Amino acid sequence: MGIGPSTKETSLHHFRDPLLDVVSSDEDVDLMGIVLVGTPEDNVGKLLVGTRAAVIAESMRADGVICSTDGWGNSDVDFCNMVEQVGKRGMPVTGLHFSGECAKFVVLNEYLEGIIDICKGDGSESANVGENAVNAQEARRALVHLKVKMKQAEAAGKSWSK
Amino acid sequence: MPDKEILLRRLVIKAFHINEVEFGEENKVTAGGKMTVSKDIIEGLLKKYPLINKIDIQIIKPGDHDRWTNTMMDIIPVSTKVLGEIGEGITHTLTGVYVMLTGIDTNGKQTHEFGSSEGNLKDKLFLNRAGTPGDDDYIISFDITFEAGQGQERVGCTQGHDACDEFIQIFRNQMKKFHGDSCTERHTYYDKIRPGKKRVLILKQTAGQGAMYDTHLFGAEPSGSLGSRSIIDMGNMPVVVSPNEYRDGIIRSMQ
Repeated sequence: MGIGPSTKETSLHHFRDPLLDVVSSDEDVDLMGIVLVGTPEDNVGKLLVGTRAAVIAESMRADGVICSTDGWGNSDVDFCNMVEQVGKRGMPVTGLHFSGECAKFVVLNEYLEGIIDICKGDGSESANVGENAVNAQEARRALVHLKVKMKQAEAAGKSWSK
Repeated sequence: MPDKEILLRRLVIKAFHINEVEFGEENKVTAGGKMTVSKDIIEGLLKKYPLINKIDIQIIKPGDHDRWTNTMMDIIPVSTKVLGEIGEGITHTLTGVYVMLTGIDTNGKQTHEFGSSEGNLKDKLFLNRAGTPGDDDYIISFDITFEAGQGQERVGCTQGHDACDEFIQIFRNQMKKFHGDSCTERHTYYDKIRPGKKRVLILKQTAGQGAMYDTHLFGAEPSGSLGSRSIIDMGNMPVVVSPNEYRDGIIRSMQ
């Protein structure tokens, strides 16, 4: 069991992942793929892998990116950097993260305002498997938020596609 | 006039619902919804995987959750490829039953890193989520006791997942022969391009720090451990997968 049993994404979760279902079934968006990125132990590695993921997004000319994580605490370093690297490259970004009361971001940056809190309990890590893992409603909120941001980017002439 | 969708590849997932799981003389599953489970396989697994001291297999009936559980390492769907590679072709999967892998070592140390979920199952397992069984589902508990300290080591944990996967493979091999028309649900998915629509990418950060905090990809079977590669061994570097590869079980959660 990894960091936070209640946010843990089991193999069954991946098999019927609500985030994938929501984004892939929305006819307004063209889901290009899913990038899976790990969480190294050392800080240099943490900053490296998220940056490489952001470069992939840029190379694919993504109009928007949704970042998701099932960890919290020290893996926030990875997550916040990844969100920042995507944002810095001019791509609208939202995401999903367990914050609650006990897991507020341990690092901050200007691109984190679009991140949805997936905490569904009393704000603590309940250690109950499945309780705080991403559900469809949260995935929809992240996508709606991203659509707004993509529209704003387009209106501002900052979108890559027409 | 919007541009037409471009279909790249098709994946059909056929589900076979299991109504009844009980102990029997052999591990057997039928397309008609019956499953029998036997503990005969355990002896052979213990010989093959030296870092495992003991394995127990139990059938947990729907609602019968007022019982002790060791920390949950994973909850695994029973799925198999019938045609094609992961992400295309045909997959058979079972509904109504899921495998729960739990772990402890001979010193009583739970197989976890930071947070653990041992305790009364009715309190520790939140039902009806995407990643957990529903109210009416059976759970097959595959409970491993590792040799001392091995529940904290990558090699030990991987042996636990592999041993569980060998057990699941027995059913997968039978499911490959199920007649597709007798499925209880059929879902068709396409990897597709929607020209002219906003291009969106999902970046998923997954576990990659150690023994109980690992993610495996590219298993030989959907949600499989055998033949898979650890994201730690791949340097935790980003890997791109297609939506159909993802939903066909290209990930085995090792956390």
